[in-house]
Amino acid sequence: MPLLTDLSAAVAAGKRNDTIRLTQELLAGGTSPQDVVEQGLVPGMALVGEQFRRNEIFVPEMLVAARAMKEALKLLEPLLAKAGIKPKYTVVIGTVQGDLHDIGKNLVSMMWKGANFAVVDLGTNVTADRYLAAAREHNANVVGLSALLTTTMPAMKETVRLLKSANLPNVKIMVGGAPITQAFADEIGADGYSADAGSAVSVALKLVGEAA
Amino acid sequence: MTTAAMTGCERVNRMLARQDHDRVPRHDTYWPETIARWQREGLQWDQTDALRLLGSDFQVLCWAWPAPFPGRREVLAQDAETETVRDAWGGIGRFWKGRSGTPEHIGFGCDSREAWEKIYRPALLAAPNPINTQLAALRYREGRQLGKWTYLSGVEAFEGLRRLIGDETCLVAMIEDPDWIRDIVQVHTDLVLRYLDEVLAAGVQPAGMWIYGDMAYNHSTMCSPAMYRELVWPAHRRMADWAHRHGMKFIYHTDGRVSGVLDLYIEAGFDCLQPIEAKAGMDIRTFAPTHGDRLAMFGNIDVMKMATNDVALIEEEIRTKFAAGMATRGYAYHSDHSVPPQVSWATYQAIVGLVQRYGTY
Repeated sequence: MPLLTDLSAAVAAGKRNDTIRLTQELLAGGTSPQDVVEQGLVPGMALVGEQFRRNEIFVPEMLVAARAMKEALKLLEPLLAKAGIKPKYTVVIGTVQGDLHDIGKNLVSMMWKGANFAVVDLGTNVTADRYLAAAREHNANVVGLSALLTTTMPAMKETVRLLKSANLPNVKIMVGGAPITQAFADEIGADGYSADAGSAVSVALKLVGEAA
Repeated sequence: MTTAAMTGCERVNRMLARQDHDRVPRHDTYWPETIARWQREGLQWDQTDALRLLGSDFQVLCWAWPAPFPGRREVLAQDAETETVRDAWGGIGRFWKGRSGTPEHIGFGCDSREAWEKIYRPALLAAPNPINTQLAALRYREGRQLGKWTYLSGVEAFEGLRRLIGDETCLVAMIEDPDWIRDIVQVHTDLVLRYLDEVLAAGVQPAGMWIYGDMAYNHSTMCSPAMYRELVWPAHRRMADWAHRHGMKFIYHTDGRVSGVLDLYIEAGFDCLQPIEAKAGMDIRTFAPTHGDRLAMFGNIDVMKMATNDVALIEEEIRTKFAAGMATRGYAYHSDHSVPPQVSWATYQAIVGLVQRYGTY
């Protein structure tokens, strides 16, 4: 029977067919779906994130790894649902009001799914009210705000203000995007800042109190 | 040397050749919303007047961007703020009504190699040249009279790929089907050069070629330098060679952090890099000493600093970056992106004054 580390390596290398085959073999061999996800797929995507952050791999390699994970999850999700197992954390993400740009958000979303977060993607041009409503509806642990344009940074500030004023006790807010810096994140009161998709998972894990 | 003694074209050519010249060449780009704000604040006409005040040395002649269905713009849906459009590249995107901004890409018609080979490749090859060569010739004569550095402009193959098949399909195919990517790159480049050949045949002799294609973002280039070298760089080299064969210099525009591929740009024969995006970590104070002898630098003045309207902060930015760029004799002024509407007209006029003050040799 293959090892879970074999699965991690396959997904990190973006080998879609191997990832599917290894997932099937592990399940057939009695490995629980949860273990396949948490000890096979998630470590593989964590390696992808780290390699991306260090510029050892780039967006194409990240995308093929995310696709491999997605194919494996198609096999696993029905089994997990049947067993009543849900992702431990829920994250809400969107591009802020006034901005239609989505590639950065989509990459972060892929990496979060790769970390076995439940991702609620609100799309683009998201008003502060919609973020708040989604955070409440889904009992979000993290809300992620993305912006590409300098002109939409005020909308990000307003969204953070609204979310903070709602006093949702367990919700942490993280921000990112081309014009966003740690200094801006601090200025507007965000709880976290991610400079790139590769570090988005570790930042989110830190915010929910888990070691990355 | 006095400003009056040197035309813009001479100035830019001397800058690109690292020969003595009177002042740094200048050009800029503005969001439409910026011009609208400035018009409310006292700019009498439009961006051409802003460029006149700046003392722009450049005159564009044409824009070459091959499209399989030129002229198509089909509105599929709309709301108060946006409209969803199927465009000349077969893509579906959601665009702001009445304001600038990157669209939301909803779908791409050319979403497979099969679609490329059956529909999009033949359509591209059959599409007419979108450039009005007579208008390009008129702009050339006007530019020459004004002493401007006249240039052909257009889009290179990586940007062409992204527009046609979308970022995700493109970047995955660079790993999974590189031959498909090579084919699109070749067809796109063939067409751009064919269109520009027709402009030259109309009797224009531009000083240069200024080609656009965003291949990077804040973190790095979208693909690895090795992948760029294999799949896209040959087309870049080909464009630069074409420019040089016709007696022109080659300026390349890309946003993002391209520090990892500067040597590849030099190897491709690029004469100049623009706009050198500061918020992506690009800084000519770092790169002018290491690369400025072989790659002229055009830009890097941080629009985020401009947007503070803090003239002292902007002055420090201009003073230190101009010093670094001018030390190589190969530097021209441009904002590092497009001047955003947070910048007041008063601030921009101050910026023009600072560019004049610090940009004189």
